Amino acid sequence: MDLFPLYNSLRVAAISTVITFFTGIAAAYYIAKTPRVVKGILDCVLTLPMVLPPTVVGFFLLKTIGPLGPVGSRVLELFGARLVMVWYSAIFATTIVTFPLMYRTARGAFEAFDETLLYSGQTLGLSNTYLFWRVIMPNCRQGILAGTVLAFARALGEYGATTMVTGYIPGRTATISTSVYQFWREGNDALAYRWVAVNLIISAAVLIVVNLLENRYRQPKRAAKDVLSDEEDVVRS
Amino acid sequence: MKRSAGVLRSLVLFFILGSLVFCPVSEGATELSVFAAASMTESMTRVAEEYGKLVPDVTIVYKFRLQRNAETQIEQGAECDLFISAGQKQMNELDVSAGPKVNKTGLDFVKPGTRFNIVSNKVVLIVPKGRNTKGISDFRDVTTDKVSLVALGNSDVPVGQYSEEVYRNIGLWDQMKEMNRITYGSNVKEVLSQVAAAAVDCGVVYGTDAASAADRVEVVAHAPEGSHRPIVYPAAVMRATRKPVEAAAFASFLQSPQCAAIFESYGFSKPGK
Repeated sequence: MDLFPLYNSLRVAAISTVITFFTGIAAAYYIAKTPRVVKGILDCVLTLPMVLPPTVVGFFLLKTIGPLGPVGSRVLELFGARLVMVWYSAIFATTIVTFPLMYRTARGAFEAFDETLLYSGQTLGLSNTYLFWRVIMPNCRQGILAGTVLAFARALGEYGATTMVTGYIPGRTATISTSVYQFWREGNDALAYRWVAVNLIISAAVLIVVNLLENRYRQPKRAAKDVLSDEEDVVRS
Repeated sequence: MKRSAGVLRSLVLFFILGSLVFCPVSEGATELSVFAAASMTESMTRVAEEYGKLVPDVTIVYKFRLQRNAETQIEQGAECDLFISAGQKQMNELDVSAGPKVNKTGLDFVKPGTRFNIVSNKVVLIVPKGRNTKGISDFRDVTTDKVSLVALGNSDVPVGQYSEEVYRNIGLWDQMKEMNRITYGSNVKEVLSQVAAAAVDCGVVYGTDAASAADRVEVVAHAPEGSHRPIVYPAAVMRATRKPVEAAAFASFLQSPQCAAIFESYGFSKPGK
């Protein structure tokens, strides 16, 4: 069994998750602070890729980064590189499709964040960067973690937009999901089943990791309480 | 509470209106469900228009673009009155009278005596119009530096099988596969779109598809004589049809000189008997 689709899917999903992690959080953080109307509009625009059929995303992408599109033609002219039908085309597709998942879950977490913690930090003279990374992020950990995992899982399973911009080139652009479809079409059920199994294993593994992480993160809170009670003891004695 | 009641009311209203819109309107018209090869999209649409003038109380409903799925769907009982395939293989799989050699599963979906050949087609190599900077001019160019990516139909659709046959005959198939230069499209229209969008350097499609997109693609070569089996499109009425009379009437219309003229205007030729 040629393992290229596994390798390709993992690299595409990993890279697009890293991209959506930062862009999604940045968008969520800044948009959570904007006035209501602006927020509503931006929210709608940024969430669209989640509700649109992936084929629509693929279509827009092809029209933009395809060799005849405004971006694609310029890149082709300047660098002689095609942005479609190559393995990294899938990154554009999966990033756009997974962005709303990261953005929405992160925004939910930011909105639920207790701002008094932020103000207390400011009274202590802590910098905004410090507050963001050491106060806000740890408090919103669960939402952000959930968003990241959702984004990764979705990127791994993305089919519609990906297949439109990458085609199906064995050994070059094939991903797990496009391979399953291809093998089914060829009537090669045995191979299709194997890839289905690979997919199931990865998905199950991701979910188990999430559960483990959640459990691990719950414990430090208890530990913190213990520390507090110890201090109380010290004060009492 | 008040607000949620309003939401509920509008939801209910929405569903009632929705079901009114989508409920089948009975106009007394008979619908004939025709599964046809993707390459016949334009010509068959024209044919249906002409047929509508002739027999106004029969509406032709097409399903294109599901070539492998068409057989699977028919096998699984999808409603199909007339099936037109872009290759004998797909029809043979549904036609028990074709013999056990080609009809391996013994499926018997074709109504006996209704099968006929409707048109024939050619295999051509196309490039995006006005962008053939490397001068691709031959089927053999795909293994040279002129080409980095070629779009072919998948092995389960007729156009893919003919492309493979052509390349096997000129002895380049294995080399092409090793070079990872092929992107497989799910049907001939996908190959056409990929070439038209210049996403690939060239592609192999039918003459009819190239003719239908003459403003976007350019034919640079015809498949060498005898490099593939003749491309004949068979059609047959399905055994399970509930409208045998209407289906037979439409089938005979498809064999009329009027339809032959339509098919020719879309780049098909007459089927050799």
